[in-house]
Amino acid sequence: MKLAKTVRSLVLCSMCSFFAVSAMAATTVVGSGASFPAPIYTTWFKQFSRANKGVQINYQAKGSGAGIRDFIDHTVDFAASDAAMTEKQIAKVPEGVQLLPMTAGEIVLAYNLKGVKDLQLSREAYTGIFLGKIKKWNDPVLVKANPGVTMPDEEITVVSRADSSGTSYVFTQHLAAISPEFAKNPGYGKTVNWPSAIKMVKAPKNDGVTATIKQTPGAIGYIEYGYAKMTKQPMAKLENKAGKFVAPGLEGGQAALANAKLPENMIAWITDPAGDQSYPIATYTWMMFYKKYSDPAKAEILRNMVAYCLDHGQKIADKIGYIPLPANVVEKVRAASANIQ
Amino acid sequence: MKHAQTAENEFHLPRLERQPFEPRALKSIVLSSITVAAAITACIPLFSVLIMLLYRGGKRLSLEVFYQLPPTAFETGGGFGNAIVGTLFMVGIAALISVPFGILAAIFLAELGPDSKVAITARFCAKIMTGLPSILAGVFAYAAVVVVFKTYSAWAGGIALSLLMIPVVLLTAEEAIKMVPRAMKEAAVGIGCTPAQAMVKVILPVALPGIITGVVLAVARAAGETAPLLFTALFSDYWLKAQEPTASLAVLIYNYSGMPFENQIELAWAASLVLVLMVFLLNIISRTLGGRKKI
Repeated sequence: MKLAKTVRSLVLCSMCSFFAVSAMAATTVVGSGASFPAPIYTTWFKQFSRANKGVQINYQAKGSGAGIRDFIDHTVDFAASDAAMTEKQIAKVPEGVQLLPMTAGEIVLAYNLKGVKDLQLSREAYTGIFLGKIKKWNDPVLVKANPGVTMPDEEITVVSRADSSGTSYVFTQHLAAISPEFAKNPGYGKTVNWPSAIKMVKAPKNDGVTATIKQTPGAIGYIEYGYAKMTKQPMAKLENKAGKFVAPGLEGGQAALANAKLPENMIAWITDPAGDQSYPIATYTWMMFYKKYSDPAKAEILRNMVAYCLDHGQKIADKIGYIPLPANVVEKVRAASANIQ
Repeated sequence: MKHAQTAENEFHLPRLERQPFEPRALKSIVLSSITVAAAITACIPLFSVLIMLLYRGGKRLSLEVFYQLPPTAFETGGGFGNAIVGTLFMVGIAALISVPFGILAAIFLAELGPDSKVAITARFCAKIMTGLPSILAGVFAYAAVVVVFKTYSAWAGGIALSLLMIPVVLLTAEEAIKMVPRAMKEAAVGIGCTPAQAMVKVILPVALPGIITGVVLAVARAAGETAPLLFTALFSDYWLKAQEPTASLAVLIYNYSGMPFENQIELAWAASLVLVLMVFLLNIISRTLGGRKKI
């Protein structure tokens, strides 16, 4: 009996302390969405929370589609998406939406192929793979693009996203831009009906796709550059609009970004950048904020957070595998962040 | 000598001592060994999981995983202190809701109106609820709590888990109360107990070990559930705040095991080990507590 009493009082005490802790704790701002920029966002937010006592920013990577849904349902304070938001989605938010591009990244084709170090993929090759026309690694199209490399007689396993994804959106948008056949079928979107001819494995989020590529010999998949860089997964050089093979990285990304002009609503797509140096698949990625918050303190924290990401955040972008925003874009975003009230 | 032989011929007495190669004995040996083999096979998955957990999770297990916060993609080290607190808190809320609720309902089902329409309907619903896919509990709590209060929270997580616990607590508590010998109840009434006194002083204490077993089963199930929490508590990289998204061990394991980063995968293993140990410890505590109460 005595033991039971002690246990009971212990439980009660711990409960009380929980409530005490929750009462004292700092303001928390919650965000969810894209997994593409998640590594850099979580790093920024952790640093921002450390620099600002009493503020916590909790970002959960669930995929762009889930983030937009959360944002429309008002279950989060802000969201992130690489597919931005459509007019129709924006119309569902009565307070108004401010989209801000916070960083940019490249989508790479990471692969898992023993003995092949520097894979080069021509436009014909990688559209062929994602149309299901090229099914073996020793296909003549791949062999032609990789002179001097012995391509193994292995089946290609394509790893794609299982969830509603901005990474898929940007990638398929690029494929549709360079291949009329892809534009007709399957077309582009956050989820697409991939041709059934492809031997395909699906995985959730950038994390899942990267892990699946790592574990599957003969696999190829599309992920953000940083994920491939961090996990030391080899990435293919892709042929750009000018016909040059470009490796992903800071230089190719910046050259690609220079092609985009940001309009008033801050949404610009770079579907097929021109220029010899440009890496072909690059994109901005956005955070979405409400224009009006019921709690002005929260709006102020969010504005400070944006400022922090623009000033300190951009400096570490390259190291983590993202493209720092061009200076003129930084100023535009800074000005637009005043709309978060 | 001769006499004995004739006797054997006359009666065809079977040999009474066991003969190992006699068909009957052989069949018995084969069938018994199959049952033993099956019993051992049933243990293999559990033990192989335990050994794997101890091996992979044990490597990463250190004091700091218990009090540090989860790392971002680039950090080394880190831990899951907030997920342990979050799991305890949410399972605690779920238990606070489901235990009183379940036991009171069980008293009605077992004692007050076992054959009433209400009881029959409730029992039927509870039995169906035990088979409820846990993800549906999450979807329900998402619609009923998260969307209404416009935030992911530990409360929503606790409510989702309580949905899974209530039927288990209710049905096992009902069985436990029914198992109390009739003679004891009658004796209690016979010496002048009111029905309430008989319930509180006699029936419930006797049924307590059974009730506690049910509660522990329910808690163990709830602690390991990921699906209901994905929609309700989400996850958090910070310490517990009940009205905000909250970390839990199950969701941490789910998130981190799919990541391509070594550090996170190791943490997922360590978290699995901690979760198993927590459930195990709870089992032992409740068994000793439940055992003491026997009259």
